[in-house]
Amino acid sequence: MEPLLSIKNLAKVYGKETRALNGISLDFYPGEFIVVIGPSGAGKSTFIRCINRLVDPTEGEMIFDNQHLEKLSGKKLRKERSKIGMIFQHYNLVGRTNVIKNVLHGQLSNTPLYKSMFGLYREEDKREAVELLKKVGLEEQIYKRADALSGGQMQRVGICRAILQRPKVILADEPIASLDPLSANIVMQQLHDISCEKNLTCIVNLHQVDFAKKYASRIVGIKKGRVVFDGTPTELTDEIVKEIYEGKESQMTLQNDASSIFDKQDRKELVAAGHGYE
Amino acid sequence: MNKQLTLTQSRVLLKQEKSNQPILIVIAIIAALVFSFFYLKISLVDMIVGLPNFILFFFQKFLPASTENLAAYIPSVIDTLGYAVVATYLSSILAFILGILISEHTNKFKAIRLFVRGFISILRNIPFIIWGALLVYIFGIGGIVGVLALLLVTIGFLGKSYAESIDEIAGDKLEALKANGSSYFQILVHGIIPQFIPAWINWTLFAFEINVRASVVLGLVGAGGIGVLIDTNINLFKYGEALTIIAVVVCIILLTEFATNSIRKRIL
Repeated sequence: MEPLLSIKNLAKVYGKETRALNGISLDFYPGEFIVVIGPSGAGKSTFIRCINRLVDPTEGEMIFDNQHLEKLSGKKLRKERSKIGMIFQHYNLVGRTNVIKNVLHGQLSNTPLYKSMFGLYREEDKREAVELLKKVGLEEQIYKRADALSGGQMQRVGICRAILQRPKVILADEPIASLDPLSANIVMQQLHDISCEKNLTCIVNLHQVDFAKKYASRIVGIKKGRVVFDGTPTELTDEIVKEIYEGKESQMTLQNDASSIFDKQDRKELVAAGHGYE
Repeated sequence: MNKQLTLTQSRVLLKQEKSNQPILIVIAIIAALVFSFFYLKISLVDMIVGLPNFILFFFQKFLPASTENLAAYIPSVIDTLGYAVVATYLSSILAFILGILISEHTNKFKAIRLFVRGFISILRNIPFIIWGALLVYIFGIGGIVGVLALLLVTIGFLGKSYAESIDEIAGDKLEALKANGSSYFQILVHGIIPQFIPAWINWTLFAFEINVRASVVLGLVGAGGIGVLIDTNINLFKYGEALTIIAVVVCIILLTEFATNSIRKRIL
């Protein structure tokens, strides 16, 4: 099968010495749900941001849609970016704009400025936006301002916005790192369901191994800017996990910064409650 | 071990080490004050002795206030407010464009950023009264001087304030629009402007308050409006009328503040 996105020898050097990525080569195929795991500082975020050129790689090739992403600029880059949806840790919604308009931002690249200025989006786009919002359970919130939503709701709006781009690939950079365990479960479940339904390739950065094993069809482990594991969830043994997180073991299960205030028992209960919710 | 001992034995200090910095600062402030008094030959005695004279003069000349021409001041009041409205309105638009050119997040060309920043800094740092005095020589006495002087200073003030507000709201938040292929102007219109509106209203109302005060003062250098009336009446020794006009000015300023504050409460 032809890969959808092919990455060869990707490297990123910050400043003079700091090698965040150290020669990464990976092929991604249609319909895969890839979870990239690794301790913080391993280069996960840099890797995912290089793909849509939010970060410019120092070396290497990225072939997507028969184009070399690393060589594009200006209008061509924007065109390819519109085929790649992205979901962020901090949601990055426009807070004072309402929910449906935030979702419609996914179609800005296909809408001329004078039309988007006056909210003249295509009727089919608007209809799809509403359908997506219904699907993630936010139909009550359609006309609320984005900054009036909870974190979990904001991230679901973020998912809708990315899906409305009708992308071929979805990139998600720590989509649940700022969420409580309950919301994290809902968000991961919906991201997984929607990308399965639309047969999208999804590349998700996570540092929670349990979530990775639960949802991924393929897991990639990154450590110090190199791929140290690439396989199915069943192939990811505890020994390999230990090796990936060597020296940073505490991050394997750590949900997010906020949850570190709970003690272990609390966290277990919350996670259990999250599982019970589904 | 040693530290613990000293803690229990001696008194607890509020600072880690003794410093005579506060004493030096106090000495410097007193020195500046004393120098100014002596250099300017200001005599406290004269000031105190002169006080009764001042009060006497005020009561004799300014009172009673003469209110017979009150209706005649109205056009000047409207002129004064008009200068402030026009200047604030125009400068809020021009300053927004300049603010975008100054902010790092909306303008990636460093040379243009520095140039605009420098230009605005010159506008802002020349006081409006000096602009007024200069422009009177060019345009002659009249309203255009008032509007232009206010406009120049307000563009400087608002341009800088807007740029700072844009810096605060921009950043990572705009990554989402950048990542989905939106154009520069779409990011501006859909990402920055909605978030910028509260700051925009706040700064502009503040500028309007300042401009109403400044518009009154500009009349004193011949820029039109109610300030001209204060100047002429005092020069003609019509102190009674001058007092009424000053009272009108206080009312204008208080009403402006009341109005801007209620707009703020309602909108924000």
